[in-house]
Amino acid sequence: MDSDPLSRLPHGNAFRFVDRVLELTPGTRVIALKNVTVGDPHLQGHFPGNPIMPGVLLVEAMAQAAGLLLPEGSSALLAQIKEARFRRPVVPGDQMRIEAERLGGLGALHRFAVKASVEGAPVAEAELVLAVNDRGREGTP
Amino acid sequence: MNDIVQRVRQLLATRLKLAKTVDEITDDTPLFAPTGLGLDSIDALELVLGLEKEFGVVIEDRAVAIRVLTSIKTIAEFIQSQGKG
Repeated sequence: MDSDPLSRLPHGNAFRFVDRVLELTPGTRVIALKNVTVGDPHLQGHFPGNPIMPGVLLVEAMAQAAGLLLPEGSSALLAQIKEARFRRPVVPGDQMRIEAERLGGLGALHRFAVKASVEGAPVAEAELVLAVNDRGREGTP
Repeated sequence: MNDIVQRVRQLLATRLKLAKTVDEITDDTPLFAPTGLGLDSIDALELVLGLEKEFGVVIEDRAVAIRVLTSIKTIAEFIQSQGKG
């Protein structure tokens, strides 16, 4: 990979839930990593003394990984979360492996099947629809 | 053709959360107009992926989708025109 694939993401560091990209086939499939650490600010409150990565942030991490499959330079918003399942808690020290595959799309909408695992054990899965939201244009497809 | 129509009806019933049952709509009921079923773009994507899986027809272009996904009848006609079903 010639340039850092993470530079494709529009998110700032304060809201980035993908740390590294292992494999990227543009428009098709991506494998990315997220290291969950005790220093993650959201874990201070979820929950004090019992840090667990919030399920909604697992979805966010999966959505960001899926977003890596969109055309470079595009910004997207979540349009649908389907069949989301959370199989076990993700805690500090876990390295989450996120695998996203593009299932298809229509207009500005793209659908992905995304799975997250820790040490080979599934932790979450969902089908996500992202809506490409090009600046200065209508967001609705 | 009748068989295709039945399968399209089945697809709508199973893949979409419709405000009406498929028995309450005709083959000509507009799927996306507010006066019809009032489906939205996410429903359209769901339908496109469902039609690809069920019938092997591929719709990628938005303009084609708007034309094809007008009603149960137009979907069935498109499937037949593609030699599928």
